[in-house]
Amino acid sequence: MEYLSVENVTVSYGIHVAIRDATFRADGGEIIGFIGADGSGKSSLMHAIAGVGNFSGSVRFNGIGYRSAKEAEPLKPLCAFMPQGIGLVLYEMLSVEEHLDFFADIRAIKPDSDFLAYRQRLLRMAGLDKFTARRAGDLTGGMMQKLSLICTLLHRPRLLILDEPTTGVDPLSRIELWEILDQIRREEGTIILVSTAYMQEAARMDRLLLFDAGEIIASGTATELLETVRPMCYLPTPGSGGVRTFDATYSLQPLDIPHAEPTLEALFFVNALKNNRLLPPVTLSGEEKIPFSDDVVMEARGLTKRFGDFVANDRIDLNLRRGEILGLLGANGAGKTTFIKMLLGLHPIDGGELFLLGKPVRNAHDRRTLKASIGYVSQHFALYGDMTVRENLLYFAAIRRIPSQEALEKTARYALELGFSEYLDEMPSQLPLGINQRFSLAAALLHDPHVLFLDEPTSGVDAIARAQFWQLLIALKEKWKIAILITTHYMSEAEYCDRIVLLRDGAKVADDTLERFYAAHPDAETFEDIFLEYYR
Amino acid sequence: MNRIFWTIVAKELLAFIRSWQLVLVVLYSFTVNVYISGSGIEIKPRNVAVGYVDYTGGGISQKILSKLHAPEFLPPRRFVSQEALSRAIYDKEIIVGIVFGPDFEKNWRRGEKSSLNVLLDATAASQAYTTLSYLQNIVLELSRSGMSVDIASHKLFNPNADNHTFMALTELLSVTTMLCVILTAVVFVREKEQGTWDIMLLMPVDPKLIILAKSFSQVLIILSGVVISLGFIVLGVFSTPLNGSFWAFALLTFFYIWASAGIGLFIAAIARDVMQVAQLSILVMMPLIFLSGAWTPIYAMHPALQALSLFSPLRYYIEGTESIFYRGTEWIDLWPYFLGVILVGGLMYWIGFRKIGRLF
Repeated sequence: MEYLSVENVTVSYGIHVAIRDATFRADGGEIIGFIGADGSGKSSLMHAIAGVGNFSGSVRFNGIGYRSAKEAEPLKPLCAFMPQGIGLVLYEMLSVEEHLDFFADIRAIKPDSDFLAYRQRLLRMAGLDKFTARRAGDLTGGMMQKLSLICTLLHRPRLLILDEPTTGVDPLSRIELWEILDQIRREEGTIILVSTAYMQEAARMDRLLLFDAGEIIASGTATELLETVRPMCYLPTPGSGGVRTFDATYSLQPLDIPHAEPTLEALFFVNALKNNRLLPPVTLSGEEKIPFSDDVVMEARGLTKRFGDFVANDRIDLNLRRGEILGLLGANGAGKTTFIKMLLGLHPIDGGELFLLGKPVRNAHDRRTLKASIGYVSQHFALYGDMTVRENLLYFAAIRRIPSQEALEKTARYALELGFSEYLDEMPSQLPLGINQRFSLAAALLHDPHVLFLDEPTSGVDAIARAQFWQLLIALKEKWKIAILITTHYMSEAEYCDRIVLLRDGAKVADDTLERFYAAHPDAETFEDIFLEYYR
Repeated sequence: MNRIFWTIVAKELLAFIRSWQLVLVVLYSFTVNVYISGSGIEIKPRNVAVGYVDYTGGGISQKILSKLHAPEFLPPRRFVSQEALSRAIYDKEIIVGIVFGPDFEKNWRRGEKSSLNVLLDATAASQAYTTLSYLQNIVLELSRSGMSVDIASHKLFNPNADNHTFMALTELLSVTTMLCVILTAVVFVREKEQGTWDIMLLMPVDPKLIILAKSFSQVLIILSGVVISLGFIVLGVFSTPLNGSFWAFALLTFFYIWASAGIGLFIAAIARDVMQVAQLSILVMMPLIFLSGAWTPIYAMHPALQALSLFSPLRYYIEGTESIFYRGTEWIDLWPYFLGVILVGGLMYWIGFRKIGRLF
């Protein structure tokens, strides 16, 4: 029986310890999931096991023991490692077939009939057998990841290490990736180590290792881990104490409210509670906004965008109402980004019309008015890194022509209500992601916009930060009645939206409220199931 | 309108001062770098190793050798044969070898034509040739052959014929160009890298204002760098004569920096990250500096290149600066340089402005 045993592995960079005393064991055919926040040591441990970096402690695989990158040399023919990032091991200018030839050649695989049959099987599993002539640069993100995976599988590795292979990949491709892994594990008996940010995926693994601040703090099957946090999970109840998220309340002290079925996210919250690492609460004051005559804030009628012969967006209609969170969903390349750019006035419109508060947006002047009434939060919550939080906010206020006195008052009020007062004079790069989320939202809201745009704000963000961010959005919607348009990769987040618009190949295929989606698809358990209905 | 402009300028200046690495690079380029170029490049011979073979038995030969002294020359070394001397030159021990043939002194004394063989290691070409002209002068002085012409030279504009000041000044102008291009490009490209580009595009502000404000902030930085360099290094250390008006130079520099900023905008529109900015800048800068006459006088270039050099704003800037510093040209007579810098530079800024404006 094959096995992998990891004992007391510590990886450090200078004085920074990335992972301390990691110990676990895996047997042939097992899939081990690594879960934990960014920077909790998952990648460092993977690098150590793959034998690409130095570490202390020891790793043993089928009798090959190693303590350093040099000693791991005999492991190389048996092991495969796929680093984090889409298409990182691929060459843009090479075709699918050339990739397979190249990786077979550098692994010195004999091209006998056995190998050719295996190769063909991999291609079919990945759904790439019809695209062998296509260049890697022209593949979608999902296809790239599948190609990367089969390239690393060519030499039939016995130990497969995948660092967040599904991050940023659309749900359909994610499912296909998992099917490949499942088949390989069953047929080849490979040991597979995978890290992931998707908790639904984690729930399907044989065993999980929970990482926190450079240590493995828990391990076991998903059910075993869930049992450990069951006593701390309660139904979401306002005013009960503890930490409340959208679907649960967590508390270390016993509460007098009913318990809830724990989810894997609960692991992170309970751990953060134990280490006292949660952010200060958000307390938005209800605000009297100028009432609009109509609830529709923005309206798109038949918006079309062409790039040459290619139609990126084909006659899309969309209404955005006050106090509503609208989720814009679609696979990679479905036209989400193009559509948002038209709504933002960044792309000229090739057909159709756009209305803001009932007035059409036609020329550059209208577009500037449009820009003045939207708030935009960029990916990764990036604001200027060389200015403090306060300076950033005052800068945006000045650009938005907000009088200085008002700007100062607003900055102070938002900081208080969104709970980042104590961080006002620090540089954004030194702050936790949760605080950066809050203050970039504040920056986007300084000028009282009617609409808030968020383009994949939660990709690559860990479970806690994501849950906290959604709580904040929902509070903004309820208290301040802002219309929010959001795009996301996480199907589980669709559950927080009021209404969902699905795009496919540049056209709108569905637009309905969450309840009605579920009503139309009674056998769907999660929104991911519904999403796949439209894509299959 | 005004408030937004100055807000952006202030923000960019703050960002510049906060990134101390960048401040260091700029200060280094304007001070130490200019100093090194001014003092480091040496065309006059210095510490030249001289060897000789003397088949004459001394006399005139020693008289000639005694004229080769420090700091230009090391004490001449004697070799027994021409072969030994050749070998020493081959081994790079000796740069200039002098062979006094057996007939040298005899012919000299008779007043006949006598010849002196000189072996030069021409890899250090300029040093070797200047040494040669030293030797010719020495021989000329010694022979005093009754030639009645005496050359009375008057060195104009740069009385000490000192090329330190010239080199330092040219380097200052090149550094100005280089840094202005890079800094302006980086200000925009950093937004692409940080992910704030979209936010910038979504500001309800005329994009022209953003571009102008951002370029202006960098113009200010470069202008202060030029003033620092001028005060401490060019005028301070090298005591370059400033015969013309300082304000004329400052104004010319101001216009010229806008031209470089235009190139920076162009590069910023194409580059995706700071690394690409560095690569593209060098690609664009080299021909610009080549064609400016900073390294080769324009009249010595191929006619086609001479015509092309009309499109390098650096050409007008360098010529104008030389006129102000060395010739002390009056304001009124500086108009061709101002016209050149403003026309060509204005065109460049306009092209860069349009190019990046299309991204907004």
